[in-house]
Amino acid sequence: MTTFNVDSRGTACPGPITDLLRAYKKSQNGDTIILLANDPGAVPDTKTWCEMTKNEFAGSKQVEDAFEITVKVASKKA
Amino acid sequence: MKKIAVIGSGAGGLITSSKLAKDLYKEIKNGEVSITIFDKRTDQEFQPGYLEVAFRGTDPSKIRRPIDKLISPGVQVVHKNIEKVDLAERYVKTEGDGGEKVDFDYIVISTGASPDNDQIDGLKEANMDFHTSANKSSLIYNQVSKIKSGRIVVGIGGVPYKCPPSPNESAFMLDEYFRKAGIRDKVEITYVTPFTRIYSAETINEVIAPMYESRNIESITVFNTDTVDSKKKEITSIEGETLKYDYLYLTPPHKTAGFLKESEIVDEDGWVKVDKKDMHITTYDNGFAIGDTTNIPISKAGVEAHLEGIVVANNITGDINGTGRAYKFTGRTQCSMETGFHKATFVVGTYDRPVEKIQPSTMNYMEKKVMEKIYWSSLHGHYEWLFKHHFKEDYFEHQEPIAH
Ligand SMILES: Cc1cc2nc3c(=O)[nH]c(=O)nc-3n(C[C@H](O)[C@H](O)[C@H](O)COP(=O)(O)OP(=O)(O)OC[C@H]3O[C@@H](n4cnc5c(N)ncnc54)[C@H](O)[C@@H]3O)c2cc1C
Repeated sequence: MTTFNVDSRGTACPGPITDLLRAYKKSQNGDTIILLANDPGAVPDTKTWCEMTKNEFAGSKQVEDAFEITVKVASKKA
Repeated sequence: MKKIAVIGSGAGGLITSSKLAKDLYKEIKNGEVSITIFDKRTDQEFQPGYLEVAFRGTDPSKIRRPIDKLISPGVQVVHKNIEKVDLAERYVKTEGDGGEKVDFDYIVISTGASPDNDQIDGLKEANMDFHTSANKSSLIYNQVSKIKSGRIVVGIGGVPYKCPPSPNESAFMLDEYFRKAGIRDKVEITYVTPFTRIYSAETINEVIAPMYESRNIESITVFNTDTVDSKKKEITSIEGETLKYDYLYLTPPHKTAGFLKESEIVDEDGWVKVDKKDMHITTYDNGFAIGDTTNIPISKAGVEAHLEGIVVANNITGDINGTGRAYKFTGRTQCSMETGFHKATFVVGTYDRPVEKIQPSTMNYMEKKVMEKIYWSSLHGHYEWLFKHHFKEDYFEHQEPIAH
């Protein structure tokens, strides 16, 4: 299982989701993606993306001036 | 003698070299400065015109110009590609067996981005794209003009790619084409995207989503294209969803120039790591990268390449004549999105301002057409007065260096 750390700070919409998609493409089920973003849209957008793709939104927390968003990859086809 | 090497003679490389040649005219004349641009291409294409070639049948020759007409006086051209860049030792090496080492004091890398079909299994065999060249785009029109019925799938095959609105534009332009041909009811147009919205920025999505509905363009969001089966005529997403097509015009994910992958100045996907404000390569002070090849968090588009080129040229000139590096890029974007039937909107934002909500209008369409008319001259730097007026405080950030 791999953890992908993606630093999207300074990226405005659509940046963080573009970075998330790039990491998602390389990941496998069971992997974790930790997205660091300071775009306020990043948290709701990632939540929506997880709901729509059936990946797991494992939480978000404020770290200094950014949000740390954790996604568990779960919906890739075998 | 200060030697400036510019790699790539596209939108970014040309404006940077033109601006430098204009501002360092005296130094070049006195033999104190040289500017050399490297690129094996002997012509350039107006890439936004690929859409017109693919979906309106414009002749590819109309959007092409010989390089010699685009290079400004004072700039030397070497019609060879670069295969190695060494920032520590300050030299580049030209491609091939007889490749030469050429020294530099400053380097500006503007080698663009191009479609990478290999990232998606089966894409190359099945897909026709309008991001590679004018000639490839014209193959789409050859096919489109023969379509009588069926399902056309367009959209974003993967990220990143250049000109974010261009896949949306292809859907709108196909809709216009088949309405005018009187067979829109026989042709299905489906747009796929890995994002959660039809356009990733919410404000623009609010504008175009209702238009997709009223124009009867089907949209499938969170569709991450994984494989394409040209025999079954199916594309499958990472999540396992499958979609049938008769004709496929997806925008492939893009890659950087091959030689960069070997260097230490790029991120894991090959994009050059730069400071997003002054565009210097993060580990080197005398190296810069601009345009589509960088890893900065904004769209890959010509307007950005142009504004970044101006900033970099100003700072190199400031360095050479001792006034310092006083200019910064604001992150300004201005991508036009044609919505068909002589209307367009723009995707406008900066590092500090989110994307604006701009309704499609004929005025916007005309502005886009004016840009097309002045494009080639603008690469010589003839229209900076107009851009300065148009972009106002977004043109660049300027701060006088503090005197010691
Ligand atoms: C369909 C489409 C629509 C578009 N619409 C718009 C729009 O409406 N507005 C907008 O602003 N932008 C638009 N763009 C994007 C715009 O064309 C590009 O962002 C812009 O050309 C980027 O400039 P650049 O200098 O980074 O790269 P390019 O202009 O692509 O130039 C790169 C150059 O580097 C050269 N090169 C590559 N490798 C090497 C090497 N090893 N050595 C030397 N040279 C090398 C290439 O030959 C090329 O000439 C569109 C693009 C497409 C495809």
